[in-house]
Amino acid sequence: MPVVDEKKTTEEEWEPRILAFACNWCTYAGADLAGLNRMKYPANIRLLRVPCSGRVNPQYVLEALQKGCDGVLVCGCHPGDCHYSTGNYYAKRRLMIFKRFLEYVGLEPERFNVKWISASEAGRFRDTVKEFTEGVRKVGPLKESFTLAPSAGDKLFGAHNESEAPASEEGGAA
Amino acid sequence: MSDITTTLRERARALMEDGTIAAFIGWEAGRFERQTTPLICLDAADTDRLIFDEYCVNTTAKYVRDLKQRGRIGVAVRGCDSRAINRMIEDNQFKREDVYLLGIPCPQMNDRKTGTVLNKCQDCAHRNPVTYDELLGEAMEETAPQDRYARAHLVSGLDRIARQNIFNMAFERCIRCYACRDVCPCCTCRTCFVDQRNVGWLGKQDNLSENRFYGMIRAFHISDRCIECGECERACPMDLPLMAINKKLVEDMNTLFGEYESGMTTDNEDALRSFSKTDLEEFE
Repeated sequence: MPVVDEKKTTEEEWEPRILAFACNWCTYAGADLAGLNRMKYPANIRLLRVPCSGRVNPQYVLEALQKGCDGVLVCGCHPGDCHYSTGNYYAKRRLMIFKRFLEYVGLEPERFNVKWISASEAGRFRDTVKEFTEGVRKVGPLKESFTLAPSAGDKLFGAHNESEAPASEEGGAA
Repeated sequence: MSDITTTLRERARALMEDGTIAAFIGWEAGRFERQTTPLICLDAADTDRLIFDEYCVNTTAKYVRDLKQRGRIGVAVRGCDSRAINRMIEDNQFKREDVYLLGIPCPQMNDRKTGTVLNKCQDCAHRNPVTYDELLGEAMEETAPQDRYARAHLVSGLDRIARQNIFNMAFERCIRCYACRDVCPCCTCRTCFVDQRNVGWLGKQDNLSENRFYGMIRAFHISDRCIECGECERACPMDLPLMAINKKLVEDMNTLFGEYESGMTTDNEDALRSFSKTDLEEFE
């Protein structure tokens, strides 16, 4: 996952950071169409293009959530419309189980969702992003509730671009 | 019980001597009272050390993988062992004709420390081996557990914060010894994702995030194949509630994609390796 910007965690300045996996054959084109039509949707979303929703390994989802994303959205073709015929059917089964699993270990249901958006559904893409962002905004930063371990989350995420976070703590203690 | 030990030794010796099998996997007495350890017999003389009692807690089927180059392998199987064998045959680890199974109806195993029935055996629905070449002793009457998913229901009944605390506490305790992976009959990948250092799925730190990633993803990888033997939980040195996770995944798949039990046959259609166009349309 690219390091996009410094994570703001205090209530006022916090903005949800959302990763969306978009299928190259439908949602990605749909997002493109939304852009062409100058539709407005929250800038909190980062699109990650994948060849098919079946390409989305649930490990990616958990990795994203643990390393700084507040929500993850997976978008693919409607069932029956998959470019590779069956990819989204497998993805559906997998992610149905994984969504329940994430909720079972204590994640809010709003943080992970799957949507089928075709290439022509620009409006639907906009509405989905808006809705999802609002859902994540409502439940707040993930850090507080999913207890990202400081040694992994903060150090890993912040170590490369800033030296102050771990170092200042050490300095303060000494 | 001692008569099973006697017949087990006799049959294992006979099979070794007539060349049917190249090795035999069973249990022998351990160094302590009420403790046993897996035994791999490589020649006929070793078979005299075999025993079978209520403390044969290890599921030994996975050793077949290490021995299969030697030829046909004899295994003493109870319900869980036989289902593990089925599972590994289905996962193309070896073929049915590579193993010779001596079935033993299981009297349920006991915990060495307390002398009471092991957790994994309390939930057991298949004490008789489901596949075998010979059955030693009389088949038992099966006692189906009252609630197959009782372990998951204990947790899923709680609210979100409580569940989160339970799993955070559990994964914080995890020392990532990978014992659960090593004993699991479903974990047969040549290179596990946690060992792919260059790919970097998992860091080396011992902390909640990495441990949770390991615990959740391992459970998810085996989820549609889990035979619910409970061996991971028994092997865990930190007593993590691993079966609460596995049972939850199995329950979801049973309710969403139809009832099944992994390991009962070798031609099961696993839930995540297949799909149906009539699946529930949950996502819009």
